[in-house]
Amino acid sequence: MTKTYSTGLPIWCAGCGHFGVKNALQYAMNAAGVELHETLVLAGIGCSGTVQNNIGAYGYHSMHGRVVPTAIGASLANPNITVIAAAGDGDGYAIGGGHLVHALKHNPNILYIVMNNGVYGLTKGQDSPTQEESSAAPDECAFDAMMLGLAIQSTTFLARAITSRSDQMNELMLRGLEHARAGRGMAFIEILSPCVTYNDTYPEWLNRAHDVDPDPDYDNGDRGKAFGRMFQLVQEGRIPVGLIYYGEQASLQSALVGDMSPFDSLNEHHEKAARKHLGAVLDSYSV
Amino acid sequence: MTAKSYDLCPAVERVRLNSEVRDDMTFMAGGQGGDGSLTVVALVSRALLRRGFHIYRTNNIASRIKGGHAAAFMRASSQPRSNLADKIDLLIAFDIEAVEKASKMLADDAVVILDKSRGALPPGLIPDNAMLLPVPFSRIAVRDMRRDLFKNCMGFGLMGRVLGLSDEEIEECLRAQFKKLSKARFEPNLLALREGQSIADGAGIDEENSVFTLPPQKKTDERIFISGNHATAMGFLAAGGRFFAGYPITPATDIMNFLNRHSHAVGGVVMQAEDELAAINLAIGAALTGVRAMTASSGPGIALMQESIGHCGSAEIPLVIVDCQRSGPSTGMPTKPEQSDINMLTRGGNGDYPRIVLAPGSVAESFEFGVLATNLARRAQCPVILALDAICHDSFTTPKFDLSNVTIDDGKRLTEKETEKLEAYKRYRLTEDGISPWAVPGTPNGMNLVTGNERDEWGRVSTDPGVRVKMMDKRSRKIENVRPNLPKGHEWGDDSARTGILCVGILEGVITESVERLAADGFCFHCHRPRTLWPVLEDTIEFVNSHERVYVVEQSEGAQLAALLRSEGAQGDKIISILKYDGLQFTVSELVASLRREEDSR
Repeated sequence: MTKTYSTGLPIWCAGCGHFGVKNALQYAMNAAGVELHETLVLAGIGCSGTVQNNIGAYGYHSMHGRVVPTAIGASLANPNITVIAAAGDGDGYAIGGGHLVHALKHNPNILYIVMNNGVYGLTKGQDSPTQEESSAAPDECAFDAMMLGLAIQSTTFLARAITSRSDQMNELMLRGLEHARAGRGMAFIEILSPCVTYNDTYPEWLNRAHDVDPDPDYDNGDRGKAFGRMFQLVQEGRIPVGLIYYGEQASLQSALVGDMSPFDSLNEHHEKAARKHLGAVLDSYSV
Repeated sequence: MTAKSYDLCPAVERVRLNSEVRDDMTFMAGGQGGDGSLTVVALVSRALLRRGFHIYRTNNIASRIKGGHAAAFMRASSQPRSNLADKIDLLIAFDIEAVEKASKMLADDAVVILDKSRGALPPGLIPDNAMLLPVPFSRIAVRDMRRDLFKNCMGFGLMGRVLGLSDEEIEECLRAQFKKLSKARFEPNLLALREGQSIADGAGIDEENSVFTLPPQKKTDERIFISGNHATAMGFLAAGGRFFAGYPITPATDIMNFLNRHSHAVGGVVMQAEDELAAINLAIGAALTGVRAMTASSGPGIALMQESIGHCGSAEIPLVIVDCQRSGPSTGMPTKPEQSDINMLTRGGNGDYPRIVLAPGSVAESFEFGVLATNLARRAQCPVILALDAICHDSFTTPKFDLSNVTIDDGKRLTEKETEKLEAYKRYRLTEDGISPWAVPGTPNGMNLVTGNERDEWGRVSTDPGVRVKMMDKRSRKIENVRPNLPKGHEWGDDSARTGILCVGILEGVITESVERLAADGFCFHCHRPRTLWPVLEDTIEFVNSHERVYVVEQSEGAQLAALLRSEGAQGDKIISILKYDGLQFTVSELVASLRREEDSR
């Protein structure tokens, strides 16, 4: 057996929510029977951006804010691997916010996890877009990625979990992973993962969390109704958690990748056929 | 529709119907964007390509969908050329503005075909000996065919007569140009063409009596007619490139268009991203899986990609980046050529990282370097940048590319079996040549960590001073390792001359012709065009230092090429810069004048 990198211990503070996220991811990978060598875990910059070091799969540390396009590129190039992207709320919603909008629109076959703690932890506690009590702009509302996801009509899997409720988090992670692996599109899971050092919101968030899964008034298969109920809950100061929306829509892969993926095309047999095709293209420039 | 020659036939001024033989002519079609100037030139180039001429074609367009002065230029010559001649021999102008723009460039004996629908020609705009053919194309098109656009086919019909092209040739060109049109939609174009011909006949310019004769040229090679963008993209595909992501930007978009058309059939994927940051990171994602990937943009987009290019250098990710340079700074002049991204491409980004920058000087080299860049990226596991200039959007005749010569270099990519046999697999293993064996996701036993942070051999983030130095040195060695494979400069001219001329990219053509002309007056020059911009190769520095003085000709206000040479060991006091940054290409006459002035002052 070839020795590969040792996963080592996470760098997070004792009590950080991210430990739970990592455990949930490992739970889901085990439960889904995903092989480490067939998995690429990509993470951004920040505390969340170290999770790939502790899994044992192929790991990639992206540039700040760019984890989503990188993950999409990998999943398009080789649809046979499982692609998991992880970011924090600064990485995913501020510097990488533009990419989120388009990823939700494209519906690529990836699992995308955002660990939301409301602050930039690694740079010592500045407000992130999800900070509800911004001292600089107290009247601004916090960014709500689930509401954004509902507003984009090609989303297929939107969920929010809270690390304090590990069973639900594990279950959502597993469902999300299976969703992406089955080629149904992007499973987007925001996990409320408090920062014990700069924004310790454990009791508050748990107190405000409203589980939509058992809620009889909530229909996660109906985008309009889900949006209405979510809006109402947010107005009431609650934080909706659970499977926020589930739907069906063609994935980006089904639109862009044909019978042969770029990865599959890289062998001698296909190169020969490709050469022949390119010869014909070249002929079209002949004079 | 019948020919109505009586009131429409042009009052031709200074008729010359002696069928003068030419083997080198420059054409211009001009008007407002949307008038069809580009179509007319495309049609004429088709005809002359069939006659075996070498063609160089370029456009001068405004950055808007329709309107604004737009002109297309073409040179047809017996010798291959990659620049226009000094003077325009035949102009077709769809408005007066086009004549005004062309005015100073018109040959003394030029033929000017003018659409006089928008007014008569003010005096003094064309040379005294020029032959003027004023025809109200637009009015006829609207009156008889209900569509203004047919004026361009009409103009082509008339031009065909001027050039002595046969009816058959002209019609064939039209059919080839509009082959995608249905019969019903094609037919009016043919009628318009005929109308143009009968207008010419009415003026006495008929099949027997033309103004020029362009004798068929002997064609000894199999040729194609292609732009640098298409040639580069073709090279990428031929070298196994299978993933492209880009964001629309002039003048790079055509690479994405080409790949959209042709890569799916070979298993490739093309994705239009939401911005340049996404584009390059999509390509990085694909590259991580072992697929050969590329992105392309122009100056502003490449500026946005700087962090990512440096990241590829640090994280050791093979990626091809094409920069179709245009006039900067900032948005600059999007449709105008320049060579002013050299600083950014060779020096841009934070920190020190390995990169390779290649600059093709022809469409043949664009193809060749498309292949080379894809292979080099793979081999050195670093970003390889192709610095294109006006070559990207201009079209040239060139010997047909030889696909059978293309080899695919997989570098140190590990197979499953090779990985399995290893005792330990470290992504960033320190090796003598600096290049580490590479296992991609999906390979059992090859799990590894890839990061842009400094890291140890396993890929674990590290700030240990010893590790840092070893890793920096390792990455640096990669470039030294591939250096012998990098294309050396191309040299031509008089190698005993004490005066040198140095340029990059497309300028070789205009310099070649200028030097030919100056040689007739006894001036001797030795010329050098570096083909690798980074690292700067020894032969280029040696060229500067071994001549008494060297004119560095470039399209950059800041003399970026000269600065690069100086910083890499060229003796600064030997360099005399000749610069152009007005958005136009150098012409032979202006370059000849500059060189002469400089040489005479010594």
